[in-house]
Amino acid sequence: MILAYLGAGALLAGLVLGGFSAMLSFFAGWRQTTVFIQVGRRAFYAATVMTVLAAAVLELALLTHDFSLVYVTEHTDLSTPLALVAAGFYGGQEGSLLYWTLILGVLGTASLVAAGSLGDRVLAYATGILATILSFFLFVLAVVASPFELLSLTPPDGLGLNPVLRDGGMLIHPPVVLAGFAAFAIPFAFACAALLAGRADAAWIRHTRRFALLAWSLQTAGLLLGMWWAYHVLGWGGYWGWDPVENVALMPWLATTAYLHSSQVQERRGRLRTWNLGLVILAFLLVVFGTFIVRSGVVPSVHTFAISAIGPWFLAFLFACLVFSVALVAIRSGTSSEGDGRAVPVASREGAFVLQNLLLIGVIAVVMWGTVLPLVSGMLGAERVVGAPYYERAAGPLFAALLALLAIGPLLPWRHAGRATVRALRWPAAGAAITLVVLLVLGVRSWSALIGLPLAAGAASTAISEFGRALLRRPQVLVRRRRRYGAYLAHMGLVVVVAGIAASHVWQQEKDVTLQPGGSAAVGGYTLTYAGAEQRDLGDHTEYVAAMRFGDQTLEPARATYAGLGGQALTHVAISTTPAADLYVVLAATNEDGSATFRIFVNPLVAWIWAGGAVIIVGVVLGNVGETSPMPELARRRSPVTLPA
Amino acid sequence: MSAILRWSLPALVVAGCVGYLIYSASGASAEYYVTVSELRMHPTAGDVRVAGVVQDDVRKSDGGLRVTFTEKDGTASMPVDYAGTLPDIFKPGITVVVEGKLDGDGVFHAWTLLAKCPSRFSTQPYTQ
Repeated sequence: MILAYLGAGALLAGLVLGGFSAMLSFFAGWRQTTVFIQVGRRAFYAATVMTVLAAAVLELALLTHDFSLVYVTEHTDLSTPLALVAAGFYGGQEGSLLYWTLILGVLGTASLVAAGSLGDRVLAYATGILATILSFFLFVLAVVASPFELLSLTPPDGLGLNPVLRDGGMLIHPPVVLAGFAAFAIPFAFACAALLAGRADAAWIRHTRRFALLAWSLQTAGLLLGMWWAYHVLGWGGYWGWDPVENVALMPWLATTAYLHSSQVQERRGRLRTWNLGLVILAFLLVVFGTFIVRSGVVPSVHTFAISAIGPWFLAFLFACLVFSVALVAIRSGTSSEGDGRAVPVASREGAFVLQNLLLIGVIAVVMWGTVLPLVSGMLGAERVVGAPYYERAAGPLFAALLALLAIGPLLPWRHAGRATVRALRWPAAGAAITLVVLLVLGVRSWSALIGLPLAAGAASTAISEFGRALLRRPQVLVRRRRRYGAYLAHMGLVVVVAGIAASHVWQQEKDVTLQPGGSAAVGGYTLTYAGAEQRDLGDHTEYVAAMRFGDQTLEPARATYAGLGGQALTHVAISTTPAADLYVVLAATNEDGSATFRIFVNPLVAWIWAGGAVIIVGVVLGNVGETSPMPELARRRSPVTLPA
Repeated sequence: MSAILRWSLPALVVAGCVGYLIYSASGASAEYYVTVSELRMHPTAGDVRVAGVVQDDVRKSDGGLRVTFTEKDGTASMPVDYAGTLPDIFKPGITVVVEGKLDGDGVFHAWTLLAKCPSRFSTQPYTQ
């Protein structure tokens, strides 16, 4: 009880401090009052401390099973394992919003502390924008969806966490993906601050890029962990369903991917400044849009959160952010032309970056349309929905073009491509041609495999040939220009992911079998024998475990039943992973005659997706740790660059 | 030539391609999302998704991989025949979304069945 008052009080105090910080910082930025800038910044830090306090209180209430709180009662019970009780913090609507706010405050504080040399006005405006966003979240938490609401009678036990969430994936996927969402606010704040202040220098670019990289890396890891979790838990043998909730996590990631590439054009050539700011702003708007979609339940999804009153508030916030940033970009960039007046040439490295950006925005448009179609068509009459075939048909060609660019782009020189470039393209061309011939000889006739895999091989050849050239001539550049070679490593990781997605998509095998104990079935070269089943009592639930033998391994697909939750059932998939393929067994049903029905999948190369994803993150991290980015254009200028030029 | 002019052609080409892809793909694979009574009122020959509540007459066969039941909303009902794995929470009384086709025999043949639980992330709200 006392915890609830403490938590709610901390949220209110945070809201007041955040609002104070926002108003003071904007005023200070406008009037350039140094004292107010510092006070505004400290008020933001104080609001963050209050958010940390509220989060600590909620976590304490969960761990001490304080069932006087609605949130604790609805998301945990006495039988839930302790780690999952702790994870209940972000397991529900209100708690996950508080977690988000916590990360926003902590990362915002870190970004302001690390921004020492950015100039007072940029800093003041960034503080103001971060404080505004923080205040909005604290307002929603304090007024609309409080995690500290009390029950009038304290029940002896809670309702427990949904069984679907009682899984190791719950401990890692939500915190990472929510942290990624929160982190997109930092580059947005600094982009808008630069526009408001009308200037930004090399230090500003480095700072914004660093936090965009952080958000992007978190989101990459979050998406991969979500795919991994869905694959292990949901029992349909897939990892991506083009569900709205998945889509809205993908879109800001795509926009930031575009930014991380096109920002290099700005660093190297001083071009595309407004464009880059637009991408950073777009990523954040997509985050807010996604939150609205996911949390309000306006679009049918299998992952929907409890429908609650926060929908209209997020819609209003989305409109406010949209109007603010569009107006800002329009006012601040309408007065001047881009760069030094000369255009970005099409056949050049910077041209490849721009084309990649356009394609990525095309993918965002495809995903966006698929996500909002039920909403739009519902308003116009009959509600219509699209599934995976739509996304594959519409985004597939764009992904193919992006893969082709991944093969060609890194070999194009800055400024202008000439005859030497054509010669450099022989490696990817050869890699793609050889792969195509091999696939045709092997009898592959699937269009997506025949287009996707050779293009992926071409992209891999490009990265490998670049690594080979560096190793043969000057191996030390691998470290000295680690950002470039880290990027090639990330590209290779992406190629591995693409190979895994293509193979598991095109060559997945699936079979339903009903077996008596001792019976066998053959699927895709594997022979499985059903050895029998047993009942296990595991505290909060019982499991009916079937033993499937193949070779010297035993797989144990199971069905769990949670007596405390009205007998809710949960299927546990059993997976045997090798680099070549996953054997994926689902216990579909147990029958009265003692037989059991299994759905068996053979999923080729799925492990490549996880391995390739890890390589992407490793490449990006290695490439950017302690990196001082090459910025000849900006390093030459001692005075700050006027923004946007 | 200004940047805007030189890039307007490639940008237009990409935008045109994206527009065409979205148009053709959504035209080819968009399905209507209706309730049982809407489907009864306007029977469509194509693939649709239908939301409704599972009634008590659930019958499983084929080792639990084939199931027939009646799906109902406020006013109308229809028999559903579905083959495949069932969601864990499938039971009479829950709302499901079936994707498939209403055949001439009046039976809806579904190839996907999704349970539309009010929330996957919380259990039933606590009521005293």
